[in-house]
Amino acid sequence: MHGVKRVQYSQAALEAKKQRDHDKLKAYLALSDDVIARKKSHDMSNEAFELTTRLLRMNPEFYTVWNYRRDMFIESLFPQRSPSEVNELLSDDLSLTFELLKQHPKVYGIWNHRRWCLEHIPDGPSPDDVNGYRNSTWNKELFVVEKMLDADARNFHAWNYRRYILATMPFPPPPKSELAYTTRKIEANFSNFSAWHQRSKVLTTLWETGELDRVKSIEEEFELVRNAMYTDPDDQSVWIYHAWLIGNGNYAARLQFEITSIQELLDEQPDSKWCMESLVRYKRLLIEKHAENLGDKKALVDSCLELLAKLRDIDPPRRRRYDEIAEGIRSGNEMQ
Amino acid sequence: MTSSSQLLIPLHVRYIQSLGENKDDLTYHLTAHLRMNAVYWGLTALCIMDHKDALSKDETIEYVMSCWVDEAGAFGPHPDHDPHLLPTLSAIQILVIHDALDRIDVPRVTKFILSLQQPSGVFAGDQFGEIDTRFLYSAVNALSLLDQLHQLDVEKTVSYIKQCKNFDGGFGAVIGAESHAAQVWVCTAALAILDRLDVIDQDTLAWWLAERQLPNGGLNGRPQKLEDVCYSFWVLSSLSVLRKVSWIDADKLTSFILSAQDTENGGIADRPGDLPDVFHTIFGVAGLSLLGYPGLVDIDPVYCMPANLIESKGLRKGWEALPRKAS
Ligand SMILES: [Zn+2]
Repeated sequence: MHGVKRVQYSQAALEAKKQRDHDKLKAYLALSDDVIARKKSHDMSNEAFELTTRLLRMNPEFYTVWNYRRDMFIESLFPQRSPSEVNELLSDDLSLTFELLKQHPKVYGIWNHRRWCLEHIPDGPSPDDVNGYRNSTWNKELFVVEKMLDADARNFHAWNYRRYILATMPFPPPPKSELAYTTRKIEANFSNFSAWHQRSKVLTTLWETGELDRVKSIEEEFELVRNAMYTDPDDQSVWIYHAWLIGNGNYAARLQFEITSIQELLDEQPDSKWCMESLVRYKRLLIEKHAENLGDKKALVDSCLELLAKLRDIDPPRRRRYDEIAEGIRSGNEMQ
Repeated sequence: MTSSSQLLIPLHVRYIQSLGENKDDLTYHLTAHLRMNAVYWGLTALCIMDHKDALSKDETIEYVMSCWVDEAGAFGPHPDHDPHLLPTLSAIQILVIHDALDRIDVPRVTKFILSLQQPSGVFAGDQFGEIDTRFLYSAVNALSLLDQLHQLDVEKTVSYIKQCKNFDGGFGAVIGAESHAAQVWVCTAALAILDRLDVIDQDTLAWWLAERQLPNGGLNGRPQKLEDVCYSFWVLSSLSVLRKVSWIDADKLTSFILSAQDTENGGIADRPGDLPDVFHTIFGVAGLSLLGYPGLVDIDPVYCMPANLIESKGLRKGWEALPRKAS
């Protein structure tokens, strides 16, 4: 159970609540017993189907009942119907699950049933247009999942579903439109790490397929991140994404440029943990990867150690980590 | 709301005992699909608080066996509920704790579990095909407890986990999904069981995990989210597997977990002031055990079961928790 407050009831309120719950409980148990008995006797009637709808509205986590419903679809409802009727039937279940998701956005069973419905959308409406039903359904799904992400931009069920929809669409939108979607989400809230994550996946694809020029696009990413960093230097989402852009630090010029820019921010915000953390990370990369081109390696080492000592003070919960990194730098330096 | 600086063991033991007595409570019935898991959570919490006998062993085993679905060769979460991998793992864990594995048909359960592996290497939860790295972990854990890991295609299984790895070092529920502490734990623990921790970028992951700790001491499950007792365990157990528990502030986390106790009726909630449940009670108690809280029994963070039991089966991996403090 998440986020349900503990309440102190008065004796009278407790009694009233018990009575209300008692009535609800009686109705729930009667319905649940009925549905389970019908399931056991393999009842595939319309009446049984309607009862599962009622029960799932009361308890959408009852996965055994979703299973029973799916058995009814496969064994009884689909075989008696034309493709257009099957499409309609499934579209009713998509409406039902959308309604349920609005109240229970994090119930696995509802998302799962939705996906099952999609997998059973029939070919049609005609031999010339076999993807017609699927196309209109998938377009609606994209709309539904955007609604869900408008309500909670971090709902990972919704993001996973979104990726699934995009990956299985009969006529997928160009990948660049997904990049634009993440831009909108990020600009609405820089702290939305789910959107940064999605962006990293979309960009990787766009670079691999050549749809975006990697060098140019990465330049734009650094610009976007810089805005976010200046807006809220304490937001770790942005810094984690920045570390991804830097990657394994193969470009010395890039490292040096970012170090300078972060140093400027640190000068303005002298206690910024994430500025210091990132400076240490990138200076270490310079030392490890570009030692041969470094004028003054000792200055870099000293600066890392100084930053780590400061991090240790301003971020005591993680001081052991800073100590271990400092020990690593010291011993690495002695070996050479 | 009164809080406490001590773990209220007798109160939590009574709370767990009382869970089976709430049959006039609607929530009890609405959560029947989690009953087998709940029995495992309750029993494990009791073991860690050294009160294993507070629930009747015979009744527990009878309950587990009443959920056996013979046609499937697996367990449901409750009588008349459909078989699924999650309750099947919980049932096996309960039977191992009670040294009663002889009650089940190991070859048939093994066959059920292996039948759920998909061509990609991930596992489905049941025949309806929902996939998740949680199910992959459940399968690996169960096969290991049944001593049947040799029947698993390890390469295929590990290859799926590898594809779930993100740039932040963490893992998601499926390929492409965002890193999430619960998924990090299941992937890390599965890799530990399979002796494949080399797949993990350990420094990056331990950094991401350490950054889950918030100023109030609690841990969140993803960047910029709220703290929660269950996430605290998933992060902490992953850090134990990576031997980096020292990278967070143990005292502050201990206080946070203790502050989420219901000091009147027992049980631990997701965060202070909320309604407790058995799920957060086990993860709270298990977290405290890893933090070296005095008087508790060691928990194995890979299997989430009593450590001595796992050790006696020869399954202990190289994890490291904080040393037990003297009371
Ligand atoms: Zn929780």
